[in-house]
Amino acid sequence: MSAIAKARSASRSEDPPASGPAASSATEPSPAPKERTPDKGRAASGVPFLLDFFPLEGPEQTRVARFYERLKEGHLSTTRCRRCGSLHWPPRVACPRCHAEELDWTDLPSTGRIYAFSAVLAGAPLGMESDVPFAVGLVDLDGVPLRVFGRIDGRPWDELRVGGAVRVESFNLPDGRVFYRFRSVD
Amino acid sequence: MRNVAIVAGATTPFGVRPTTWTEMAQEIGAALFAAEPELRSEDVDSLFVGAAEPERFAFQSHVAPLAAEQMGLAPHRILQRTELACASGQSAIRSAYAAIAAGLSDVAVAVGIEKMNLPSMAEANTSMGCVMDRAWDGPHGATAPPFFAMVAQRHMLEYGTTEDQLATVSAKNHRFANTNPHAQFYSKTFDRAKLARLPMVAPPLRLGDCSSMTDGAAAVVLAAEERVSRYTDSPAWIRGTGQYSDFHNLANAGSLTDWKGLTRAAREALDRAGITIRDIDVAEIHDCFSISEIVEYEAFGWCSRGAGGKFAQDGCSDVGGDVVINPRGGLLGCGHPLGATGIAQSVEIFRQLAREVPAARQAPDPRFGLVHNLSGSANVHSIMIYEGGRAS
Repeated sequence: MSAIAKARSASRSEDPPASGPAASSATEPSPAPKERTPDKGRAASGVPFLLDFFPLEGPEQTRVARFYERLKEGHLSTTRCRRCGSLHWPPRVACPRCHAEELDWTDLPSTGRIYAFSAVLAGAPLGMESDVPFAVGLVDLDGVPLRVFGRIDGRPWDELRVGGAVRVESFNLPDGRVFYRFRSVD
Repeated sequence: MRNVAIVAGATTPFGVRPTTWTEMAQEIGAALFAAEPELRSEDVDSLFVGAAEPERFAFQSHVAPLAAEQMGLAPHRILQRTELACASGQSAIRSAYAAIAAGLSDVAVAVGIEKMNLPSMAEANTSMGCVMDRAWDGPHGATAPPFFAMVAQRHMLEYGTTEDQLATVSAKNHRFANTNPHAQFYSKTFDRAKLARLPMVAPPLRLGDCSSMTDGAAAVVLAAEERVSRYTDSPAWIRGTGQYSDFHNLANAGSLTDWKGLTRAAREALDRAGITIRDIDVAEIHDCFSISEIVEYEAFGWCSRGAGGKFAQDGCSDVGGDVVINPRGGLLGCGHPLGATGIAQSVEIFRQLAREVPAARQAPDPRFGLVHNLSGSANVHSIMIYEGGRAS
C-alpha cells in the first residue's frame, strides 16, 4: 500500500458514519471531509496537477491503482482478459476486444529490446526542462507481444541502438507516486 | 445527399502573432466577408469551429458562440466546436459538409482558430504533450517530435531514406511558402544546405524538419448546390471524404512506416469520388514533419513503399512532377495552428482549382484536389477530395 493510500486509509476510519441517501458504497469513497485531506494546489513537481503528466495513482483516483502498487514492488504489470485472453497495454478496466470487465493482473517481463528511439534535445514539457537531453523509445518486451513506450536512461542517446537491450526500472516521485522507465543494459 | 461546394475562403497571417484567440476570430470574420462580397451574415445558418486546445493555449472553453459573436455571425441551425487535435479544422469542414448534404444546413461557415504561442514554451509543450495518452506516454516526455523522429529512424533503417531526402521535402515546401504572404516563413529562405545546418530537435529530425508553434485562423463558406451560384462561378465541389483511426497509445501503433489507416481512409475517399489517386492533380497533405510527407506519398500510392524519399528527390511532388504537393507551403512553411491548418489547406485547393494562386505554385490545369490531415501520432487520418468546376 502506498504512502498516499495508507494516509487515506488511516484517515477514513475517522470519517463520520455515513447515513441517508448520501451513504457511500464500499467502493465509492465519500467526499473528503475537510479535516482529512488539505488542499494540495500543486503536484510535487511544482506544477498544477493538470499540467503534470504523472497520473493520480491512488485507489480513490484510478481503478488500475494495482499497477502502481505492483510497480512499487519493482514489477511492471498489466491486465489480461479472463474471457478472451487478450493481453492489454496499458492496463484496462474493460477488454477492448470482447468488452468483458473480468480482467486478471499479470506481471510483465522486465527486459526488452529497442524497436525505435529518439531523444528530446529541445521542447520538453513543464517540469522536465532540466532532464534535457533525454532519450525515449519503443521497446519490444521479451516474450510477450507488447511494445511499450518509455524514457530510456543509462547511456547518452547517441550511444543507443535499435535492437539494444533494456530493462524496466521503477522510480519514486517526491510525493510518493511511482513510475517506470527503461535502462540501457546493452 | 445534396451536392456541397466551398464557395469562399480566407486566412489570416500565420506566425508568432501579437494577438489573442478572440481577436483572431474577429480578423478571420473580417477577412472572410472581404473575400466574398456577396456573403451576408444572415445567409450563414450554421457555424463549425475547429479549435484543438483553446482551454490550454487561450484558457477559453465554449468557443463556438464566442467565435460566432466575434465573427459577426448569428447561426440558427447548428453551432458547435470540432476537436480532433491537428485535424480539428478539417473536422469542421467535414461536419459542415455532412450537415448541408443531409439538408440540415444550407450555408455554413467552417472556421479554424488556434493561438499557440505563450510566454512559457514549456507550458505550450505540455499542452502539445496531452494530445498523446497523457497518463502512459506523457510522463516520459513524449510530444510529437520524438514520435515522428522514430518514424524517420525506422524509415531510414528499413528503406535507406536519408537526411538529405528529408531536407528536400522541407526545402520544397519552404520555397512554396515564399510565394504565400500569409505563411509563417514567407520571408525566410531555406535551401537544403541551410536546413542541414539547423540544430537537431529530436534526432534524426532537425528544426527545419518540424512544423512550428503558430498563431492563425482560416475559414471557408460551404453551400448547398442551389446556393452556390450566388457566391462564385468557380466552386470546389466536395466529391469524397474518408477517415480512419486505429490506435491511440503509442504501444498500439504497429509498423511506424506503414500508415495503413491513411491507405484505408484514402480508399474510402477516392471510391466515393469515383477516381483513383492518379486523378489527383494537386494535394495539401499533412507535413507536420518532413518524414510525414514521405510516408504519405507511399501510403496514398503515389509511389511504392520505401520510395518516398526518392519521389521527393526526383521532383515528382513539385510543380512539373506527378502531382503538386503542398503548394501553399505546407505546415513546414506556413506553420501549424492546429485548428486552422485543415481549413487553410482547403482554401488553397479552392484557389488552385479556380487558378487564383501565383504562377510559381499553380498546378497546371487542375481538376481534382485533395486535402489530408493526420492527427496525434498519425493515429487518425482524415481526407477530403474536391473537384473544380462551374456552378450549376
